[in-house]
Amino acid sequence: MAGRLAGKIAGLLAAALSVAPLMGASADAPAVKPAVPFIEDDYARALSEARSKNVPIFVENWAPW
Amino acid sequence: MRAVVFTDKALSKHAGQFVWLSIDTEKAQNAPFVHKYPIGAWPSLYVIDPRKETVLLRWVGGASVAQLEKIFADGRNAYGGSAGTAQGDLARADRLYAEGRYPEAVPAYQAALATLPPKDPRYARAAESLLFSLGATQRREDCVALTLQDYPKLRGTTAGADFAASGLDCATGLPENAKGRSEAIARLEAASRESLADRRIPLTADDRSGIYSALFDARKDAKDETGAAAVAKEWVADLDGRAARAKTAEQRTALDPDRLGAYEAAGQLEKAIPMLERSEREFPKDYNPPARLALVYQKLGRWDQSLAASDRALGLVYGPRRIRVLVVRADVYKGMGDAAMERRTLEEAVSFAKSLPEGQKPENQIAGLEKRLGSLESASSQP
Repeated sequence: MAGRLAGKIAGLLAAALSVAPLMGASADAPAVKPAVPFIEDDYARALSEARSKNVPIFVENWAPW
Repeated sequence: MRAVVFTDKALSKHAGQFVWLSIDTEKAQNAPFVHKYPIGAWPSLYVIDPRKETVLLRWVGGASVAQLEKIFADGRNAYGGSAGTAQGDLARADRLYAEGRYPEAVPAYQAALATLPPKDPRYARAAESLLFSLGATQRREDCVALTLQDYPKLRGTTAGADFAASGLDCATGLPENAKGRSEAIARLEAASRESLADRRIPLTADDRSGIYSALFDARKDAKDETGAAAVAKEWVADLDGRAARAKTAEQRTALDPDRLGAYEAAGQLEKAIPMLERSEREFPKDYNPPARLALVYQKLGRWDQSLAASDRALGLVYGPRRIRVLVVRADVYKGMGDAAMERRTLEEAVSFAKSLPEGQKPENQIAGLEKRLGSLESASSQP
């Protein structure tokens, strides 16, 4: 149902990840203030900044469910 | 992670090491990004080389602050170039994994792990990536073998706990007559129990919930209803305790999906209703609480309340998740015996799914929905 890897392995084995259920996913929708300066939903801007600073991009791919 | 880990001030010292990007994969504006860098599971963390626009490193699932700091170090090393055979092998494995080339990633990780000592800070991440690759390629027996072999090396760590529970999931999924199945389940149940009991391991609520889920399934697999009920009771108590101790509404609401799973396992689905109603009051723009309420009411056969919650969710939901909300709604109509509305709702789901941009269009889901629609058509044409 959940878990960092355990539930995800189970989901893979059940071929269920493409149809993520309404329960057993991560619910992180409410906005919170992160400790590092995230650019929200703007890959082009992140790419440009990373190139000019010569640092890699760290991406958090998430979904609100 | 957003509610707990990324708010940790300990991460602020890493601020200058990366450009930080947060991608809500459900938003249409991010579909080109998702198409370019496909996501296999949520959350997924990537380190991207902006010079080549390639993924240097990928991590699937949530992570603790300590795990994140290892990911940062590995990501910076990968960006700066390799030094040494192990890192070269590992970099190749990471690249294949990042590209979703799991069948090729498996031997690459095996080669990398053969040259890495277990105490190397990269070992656990590489082993977990191998484990995920085995899951993605449906190699249950190899998954069991890997977890049995590596659990002793990782015992007492978050990765060890993940290995125990993941291995247990793999083992219970083996055919009943598979050689060594019972012994593997017994060993991995013991390892999972040991991990849960070791309070020195900084397991998140999600980690612990995954372990309880695997233990619950193992007891069900053994047809031990009493044992399964005991696990479910413990699981509910663990999560309810964490919810009571949550410092913010965000932290408490983040537990909702795990608590929902635990309540269902314990046969206490009714307990999810006040929990979700509270979340809906506190986050009135979040579609998750009403979407989950619609599911709970549907499971309880309370059709009108499910449809009302579904209406509220549909007023808020965006992106591919809308399909799942519609499917639950179709299930309600099925439960009500209203085949016409079930069909209409499924047709709406298919139409919406097909309208999604590349990167978000769920081809497998569309195929599944069309198959269900076909079955409905066949049933309705029967004399």
